Amino acid sequence: MSDTLIFSPKPDRPAPAESVGLIGWLRGNLFKDVPNALMTILGAYIAFVVLSWVLNWAIFNAVWEAESRRECLDMVGRSGACWPGVGVWFENMIYGLYPKDKVWRINLGFAVLIAWMIPLWMPKVQSKVAIGLSAVLIYPFLASYFFLGGDKSILWTALISLSLTVFVWVWATALSETFIGKSVGEVVVDKAGARNADEQRQRLIKRGVALVVFLVAVLLVNEWALEEVRTRVWGGLFLTLVISGIGITFSLPAGILLALGRRSDMPVISMLCTAFIELFRSVPLITILFMFNTMLPLFMPQGVEVDQLLRAIVAVCLFAAAYMAEVIRGGLQAIPKGQFEAAASLGLGYWQTTTQIVLPQALKIMIPTIVGNFIGLFKDTTLVSIIGLFDLMNMARAVGEDTTWLGLFIEPFFAVTMIYFVFCFAMSSYSMRLERKLATGRDR
Amino acid sequence: MALSTEAATPKSSPSNPLSRMWRDARIRAIILQVLTLVGVIAFFGWLVMNTAYNLSQRNMSAGFGFLDVSAGFGIGFTLVEYQEGDSYLRVFYVGILNTLLVAVVAIFLATVLGLIVGLARLSDNWLIGKIARCYVELLRNTPLLLQIIAWYFGVFNLLPRPKQSIELAEGFVLNNRGFYLPAPVPEAGFNIVLITFAAAVIFAIGLYRWSTVRLDKTGKAFPAISTGLAVIIGAPLAIHLALGAPLGWDIPVLKGFNFTGGTSVPPSFCALIVALSAYTSCFIAEIVRAGIQSVSKGQLEAAGALNLPPNWTLRRVVMPQALRVIIPPLISQYLNVTKNSSLAIAIGFPDLVSVWMNTSLNQSGRAIPIVAMTMAFYCLVSLSVSFVMNYYNKRALLKER
Repeated sequence: MSDTLIFSPKPDRPAPAESVGLIGWLRGNLFKDVPNALMTILGAYIAFVVLSWVLNWAIFNAVWEAESRRECLDMVGRSGACWPGVGVWFENMIYGLYPKDKVWRINLGFAVLIAWMIPLWMPKVQSKVAIGLSAVLIYPFLASYFFLGGDKSILWTALISLSLTVFVWVWATALSETFIGKSVGEVVVDKAGARNADEQRQRLIKRGVALVVFLVAVLLVNEWALEEVRTRVWGGLFLTLVISGIGITFSLPAGILLALGRRSDMPVISMLCTAFIELFRSVPLITILFMFNTMLPLFMPQGVEVDQLLRAIVAVCLFAAAYMAEVIRGGLQAIPKGQFEAAASLGLGYWQTTTQIVLPQALKIMIPTIVGNFIGLFKDTTLVSIIGLFDLMNMARAVGEDTTWLGLFIEPFFAVTMIYFVFCFAMSSYSMRLERKLATGRDR
Repeated sequence: MALSTEAATPKSSPSNPLSRMWRDARIRAIILQVLTLVGVIAFFGWLVMNTAYNLSQRNMSAGFGFLDVSAGFGIGFTLVEYQEGDSYLRVFYVGILNTLLVAVVAIFLATVLGLIVGLARLSDNWLIGKIARCYVELLRNTPLLLQIIAWYFGVFNLLPRPKQSIELAEGFVLNNRGFYLPAPVPEAGFNIVLITFAAAVIFAIGLYRWSTVRLDKTGKAFPAISTGLAVIIGAPLAIHLALGAPLGWDIPVLKGFNFTGGTSVPPSFCALIVALSAYTSCFIAEIVRAGIQSVSKGQLEAAGALNLPPNWTLRRVVMPQALRVIIPPLISQYLNVTKNSSLAIAIGFPDLVSVWMNTSLNQSGRAIPIVAMTMAFYCLVSLSVSFVMNYYNKRALLKER
């Protein structure tokens, strides 16, 4: 018994000290061989110089309180930033010259947008597509009344009320689907005690409730009067967001239609779409902006005045649509032919095939490119400054032309660069996350 | 398919000939197209009518007659002779040359920089990779126009006066009036050097072709690239020296308040070039990285199994496959640089959009021909580039079994 050998493994020897832990990581990633080590030292030196210079300038040597640029220069010269100028102009950089007592309208408008979108991130909500579409298609009516104000005609009142009604529906849906697990319609029918009634009666009840909410909204909106704010005083980050928001909202559906048109079997439609896309893609945005700025007044019948902001928005929208069309076309081309054939063999028509089979797949594979396009559009809105609109960038430039802060350019540009960077970087990171979440087993 | 239509026909067969026509896909397509065409023509007709009326109201004309009228304004930076009295056509020409100059210089610098950054991003050195990533993310997530303006107002406009100029090297001077550099002055006999150079280039191309053919046929390699380079550099240099160096350099010198001699470019040009090439280099870096990463590891392992030397692996295995992925987006980046050079107007560099679509348009008031000519130029550039690209794509298409 005792001379039976029992195999008892010795414990593993630890990995060599130089290949684990901090030292191993340093060896593997920074000091693999001599040229690599030299590169590391050079890189570290460059990083150190740049970082220390930026930090010294922006924080340690910076002036935080001063009355004018002269005062800043007397204190630290050019070795430190002069932030008070940016501080004084900060509100203008965000809201433009929008009247100070009406700025709450902008804030409220964007707060409503955020509130509208929150249900999209709530996990139990089912009707996300409808909510997302309503945010894109219905919300703008409400927002434009917040931002513009002024007299409203009957149609305008109806649209704003519709917007409010849909907003109520969005949150009712979000709450009922999260806490009760049913859609709003079912909850309403239950409350009315008509659960067992026939379908027609149920529909009647749902519509009736919607109508009541709408009428209440009309009464509210009718009472509610906001003073008009001319678009001439719009500016800053607000203007940038409005232009790029409208551009993004318009470009996706228009781009889809253009791309479908370009691939259409009908020669006239495909030629027209191709001509439009190629023309707008081959010229720089600035020439399109200039063209619309000088030519739109010529194109319109006499007596029709086109707001300068509107001219810029039209130009940006058409430009963005042409670019988006090519992205979507790339997505459409990537759909294998078998998908079309399968749809045809199920007896689906053109629009059914397109909206239910092809587009969902095409849009999904193109998400990174589409978001990349949105980012490009957001950056390109800076070009409206060239035709004289005071967007975020132009506001930053205006700081250096203010007599108190004459020549103060780098600091506001630095601040504005940070704002642009945060927006663009957030968008691109979000798209990467979305891409990973939506990846459905195509890749190994 | 056939079954379902047969089943459906009796129920929905319309008696009305109009609605029967609507159910025929071919006829429906024709009707739709005719309607679209009519709509588009009506829309354009409406625009033309409005425009004609507005033009007559404002006493403007839409013809091209103004082109030989004297423009009457100066241009700060020109590549060819230009005086204030020259015609509008000349202004157009000057603008085109300036745009092309910016595009060519920026494309060259962006390619070099982008290649370096792209390779740095692939480096197995953690720090270098991270630095390259920061560079790319920071520059491509901020607007180009902002970068151009920041470089102009923040750097090149704040440079010292000519007296305290920064001298980068002998004859290369940077100050707030611009960047001064030596200009080559060809003397008698320099033409021969140029001719030699052209002949050497042709010879090298021929040599490369011959060596490829011989490699395919016999498997014997010939160092065509190094020999060709030696000929291209060596032959003109030898002739140049033999003729007693018939090329002088005109070096800028400080005289009074400014530098004279040599050539110079304005600060706006420097800002534009720096911003444009830095911005584009990020996109090129990403393209290069994606291209090299697209070559699968198995290819490298197969090359290793065949015992190919490393430079052959790179030249004959990795690069041909990576280039197929790299070149199309690279060319569209080049096109973007050309289009983005129009942002020069924001800092007052006289490119095509600035001198033509802005100054000339405001001076002459001929909005329609001027806008049309500008767009025609950009369309021409982009059409020719896409022609080249289609040719390349056809050639580079994978030849599958």
